[in-house]
Amino acid sequence: MSQTAAPQEAANAPARLRSAAESAASTLPPLLVQAQQLAGSVLSGDHGRRRVGMGDDFWQYRPLQQGDSRRMVDHRRSARGDVQFVRERELQIAQTVYLWVDAGASMRFASSSAQPRKIDRACLIGLALSILMLRGGERVGLTGGSLPPRRGTLQSLRLAEALSNVQDSPKDPSLQVADYAPPEDRAMAPQARALFISDFLGPFAPLERALSKAADRGIQGVLLQVLDPAEEQFPYAGRTRFESVSGALSHETLKADALRQTYLARLAERRDALDQLCRTTGWRLGLHRSNDPALAALMWLYHAMDRGQP
Amino acid sequence: MTSIAGLGFVAPWLLLGLLALPILWILLRAVPPAPKKRVFPAVILLLGLSDRDSQSDRTPWWLLALRLLAVAAAILGFAGPVLNPTREMAGSGPLVVVVDASWAGAAHWAQTRKQIATRLEDAGRANRPVALLQLSSPQALQFQAASTWQSQLPGLHPQPWQPGPAQIQATLDHLNNSDLGFDSLWFSDGLAYPGQESITTALAARGAVTVVSSGLPVLGLLPPEAQDGALEISALRSHAAPNGNTPTEILVQARGRDPGGTQRTLAQVGLSFAPEALRASTRLTLPAELRARIERFEIPGQRSAGAVSLSDDRLRRREVALIAAGAADEGLALLSQLHYLRQALAPTADLLEGSLSEILPANPDVIVLADVARLSPQINDALIAWVEEGGLLLRFAGPRLASSDTARKDEEILMPVRLRIGGRSIGGAMSWGEPKTLAPFAAGSPFFGLTIPEEVSVSSQVVAQPDPSLADRVIAALEDGTPLVTRKPLGQGQVVLFHVTANAEWSSLPLSGLFVRMLERLAVSSAAKPPEATSLEGTTWRPVTVLDGFGRRAEADTLPGISGPDLITAESGPTLRPGLYQSGGHSLARNALRQGDSLTPARWGAGISLVGYDSTPERPLAGLLLGLALLLLSLDVLATLQISGLLRRASGVGMIAGAGVIGAGLLIAGLIPAPAQAQGLVQAQERAQAPVQSPASSGQDAGQDIPPDHVTRAAELTLAHVLTGDATTDRIALAGLRGLSDTLYFRTSVEPAPPVSIDLERDDLALYPLLYWPVIPEQALPSAAAYARLNTYLRSGGMILFDTRDAALASSRPTNGAASAAARRLQQLALSLDIPPLEPLPSDHVLTRAFYLLQDFPGRHPRGPLWVEAAPADAEQVEGIPFRDLNDGVTPVVIGGNDWAAAWAVDRNGRPLLPVGRGYSGERQRELAFRFGVNLVMHVLTGNYKSDQVHVPALLERLGQ
Repeated sequence: MSQTAAPQEAANAPARLRSAAESAASTLPPLLVQAQQLAGSVLSGDHGRRRVGMGDDFWQYRPLQQGDSRRMVDHRRSARGDVQFVRERELQIAQTVYLWVDAGASMRFASSSAQPRKIDRACLIGLALSILMLRGGERVGLTGGSLPPRRGTLQSLRLAEALSNVQDSPKDPSLQVADYAPPEDRAMAPQARALFISDFLGPFAPLERALSKAADRGIQGVLLQVLDPAEEQFPYAGRTRFESVSGALSHETLKADALRQTYLARLAERRDALDQLCRTTGWRLGLHRSNDPALAALMWLYHAMDRGQP
Repeated sequence: MTSIAGLGFVAPWLLLGLLALPILWILLRAVPPAPKKRVFPAVILLLGLSDRDSQSDRTPWWLLALRLLAVAAAILGFAGPVLNPTREMAGSGPLVVVVDASWAGAAHWAQTRKQIATRLEDAGRANRPVALLQLSSPQALQFQAASTWQSQLPGLHPQPWQPGPAQIQATLDHLNNSDLGFDSLWFSDGLAYPGQESITTALAARGAVTVVSSGLPVLGLLPPEAQDGALEISALRSHAAPNGNTPTEILVQARGRDPGGTQRTLAQVGLSFAPEALRASTRLTLPAELRARIERFEIPGQRSAGAVSLSDDRLRRREVALIAAGAADEGLALLSQLHYLRQALAPTADLLEGSLSEILPANPDVIVLADVARLSPQINDALIAWVEEGGLLLRFAGPRLASSDTARKDEEILMPVRLRIGGRSIGGAMSWGEPKTLAPFAAGSPFFGLTIPEEVSVSSQVVAQPDPSLADRVIAALEDGTPLVTRKPLGQGQVVLFHVTANAEWSSLPLSGLFVRMLERLAVSSAAKPPEATSLEGTTWRPVTVLDGFGRRAEADTLPGISGPDLITAESGPTLRPGLYQSGGHSLARNALRQGDSLTPARWGAGISLVGYDSTPERPLAGLLLGLALLLLSLDVLATLQISGLLRRASGVGMIAGAGVIGAGLLIAGLIPAPAQAQGLVQAQERAQAPVQSPASSGQDAGQDIPPDHVTRAAELTLAHVLTGDATTDRIALAGLRGLSDTLYFRTSVEPAPPVSIDLERDDLALYPLLYWPVIPEQALPSAAAYARLNTYLRSGGMILFDTRDAALASSRPTNGAASAAARRLQQLALSLDIPPLEPLPSDHVLTRAFYLLQDFPGRHPRGPLWVEAAPADAEQVEGIPFRDLNDGVTPVVIGGNDWAAAWAVDRNGRPLLPVGRGYSGERQRELAFRFGVNLVMHVLTGNYKSDQVHVPALLERLGQ
């Protein structure tokens, strides 16, 4: 998203690449480390399916039967006796999880320097859950086809890179992102699971459309709304001119504290609408405040994502 | 300066700025406070919302008024308003400011200086070059900008003298040297002095002369005169106050040191001037003791040298040494040679008694030798030297002098006359004739004029040998012409001999009041009249204390000496300042006013305008108004913040209060006008000139500075050991004292605090009753200061336990050369200590029974002798008591080598640190070591209490009777 697509001169290309790689490498570890620390505090639950199937772990040796291919003979075991054995592994079914983190400008906001920006918290939680899922053997990817679901620890590195790109503010002003990004619902495989992290403050229709489409494909998932405490409490007073992060929208009032009740009502209304939408589509809605600990949100997400698994 | 409604404005055109205020009103009114900008992602939810109550988007009227007021105050302030503006002085051209600056103006000097400052300010506005001419110390005329003189004004002080002929001449020379024409402004002190007219004439020749004078009368105090036992105090004034402005009643205070040494008012007396009278007098009768303490008389409230009169020898208390022959015998008091002298002199003089060798260094004023015939040669020489320096030696005869061969053949230096053998007695049982009475005193005698009571008679006396010089030396004689009192000058002093005793044995003279008056006349008890100029011929007087123009003491160190006649006759001036002068032990006061002086008001000739002081000085208001503007602006800041919601309510109150305080501070700073600052500067300078006595007080402060740990150590018994410099030894010594402290705590009512290690060079020893000093051969010798403190410690009851720790002191013959290294070091260490003779601990020493009964005192080493202070040689053993009667003193040192600390040493948990002996006997030895320690501490704390216990039966028996 924020990758620079500036015209590159041939002479500068290696240097540019290297500096981009270095800056990426410099941001990658903190996010990954934080996410892994976060994920490490959640113990993976039961993942083995207790039956024979495709998997990494040893399950049993059974005698070679009719119909088994010769290639399936485990020679190390068979060499001990006369009977030929086949080595069977435990069945492991991988789920596909799609992750979408809102990269809109409205996410790049923190009401005080003591708190993380909403997007930082969103990326952290998203990556931590991805790591958990990857450890569980799931395939995790981003919606929109930019990073298709894959498994393995390498995928966590790729996810971290992609998310830290999301996290960074665009350097080029011409690439200024819009205030509210519509949910990316393309390239989602049927029957997968999805996690959308955003503040869901933007226009409601695209979200509704995306969730309906996902529900049509049998995709179930979780919406995690990340809000700043200032957005929940509206601690403003006096003559104030409110501007959106990109500066595109603004509203001026003479008495900000008089607007508080109306604003909170509107926020609750929006939450109700989200809840209603989720109930219709079978998704779940979570709320996370950016000054709360990330672990609580991760725990909730882990269980919410686990629901409905076989 | 333009004046509008009593206010003058320096820059009146600035007031046009006030016209801009309505425009400002309109401008400010239209602009509401700026909104805050807030980044808020959820602004989409706010879109379309409108404010419920439409608030005015205009600035509130009160804020507008506040701002306009602030701007108006600023405009007015910059326009330079001045309250009570003085009228412009006529004239331009150069100006000479002439100041008398004598003591007469010192009382009103602050006003005078303010007046001068005002005039200089006026001259500065008119750009007139100004020269300042101080008549009491004239300088060449120097025309400068008025502001230059203004900055030098704080340094202008009145001098303690009137302009004398020398100053007048110098002034005239300076005026003649300048060929400019100028106007003059003469700040007169109001007194006339010779030569004033010549200056007036010289000034009038150059231009207009204006005399500025306060018109207040000048007050002066004449030196008090002693008359018939009372002090005659007179004050002068220059003229009667026409409007009754000056009090006709004034107060005169006599100040001096009280017996505690503090300066205070010893007496005060009121004086009242009769109407139109220029002189007022009163009499003050004071006890002689009080009178002798007086240092100065002054008129309170009149800060001038003329209102101060210093007192000198005439009021001072003299030191008289009384020496009688022989040792103090327990005779009857009334027969004592010195009894009547003491009675006569005690009220008026400080009496010293003792031996001559002790008294002579104290340099008393008078030495009285009562019936002392012989003096040792050194004392004799010293006494001669003392008399020649100006001392008065007063001798009385007596049986010893009569029977000795003093001054028989040759005249002795310390005797006025030669004496005949034996003296004579008249009117006794074995003689003819009646007791003789005194002849009237001759005219040359110091006693001339004293009335002789009838009852004074002389029955015995020593008789002077007739000599050619005898007649000159007799100052009192009997009616038959026999000399009774003779006197001889010797150097600057004199020797006086009373040919009778100082008690009533030979004559009734000491019983009479005449005796006291004769002593007074001899200047034994009080001094004489002011000296004549001729009598001071050839003497040089050194200034001790001089007065400045305000009558305060000033430094006299750098002033030259004055010859005696000059001191009496010459006029005061820069070389002869009023003050106290000293020569050869006598002091003489020279005051600004002398007897016979009078204060004449100045008279000014025709053509000279005379003005008084302006009562209301002008006062610039610019600072006040600008401060107000600043305050209003800061209020405006707060109000604006409040309106735009930037001020939280909780912190808002604090901020408003803070801003208010700052604003008020600025306002007050603006209120204080510049002249007050100049005055503050003057006061600071005057304070700086006052004598500083801080070193003494700072020394006292330093003494009160007690380290906090000393308090805790003094509160409880603390054992201490001396740091040797060897870490192991020090550690074991501290552990040993810890073990001993624990033992004491468990077994006795002594509950010591944890022991400490002390450094002899730094720590205070007085807090510790017992010092344990392990001696190692490598230990450095303490410094001299440390030794001094150790000796003080030993003398004041401290005890040191020296421990060579090698049992090598066991040899009871320490001189056989076999002493160990530590023992040799101990000898070196103890060489400078104040240690009494020692002996090996006798078996009946109180250490053997102070708490436990002990006979040997093992430490880690079993048995070495212990050395303590030797018992007095006359201690005797009483029959039936197993020990001698040794009652006094705790031995200051205990010396041994048994390494007790090692036996006492315990670790933190109370377990022994080092092994002692073997098995059970070793533990027994350790126990005995502890018992020794307990006995030692008990001995230190209770002294010889256990020895005294042997007397209890005897005491009880006595009580029973």
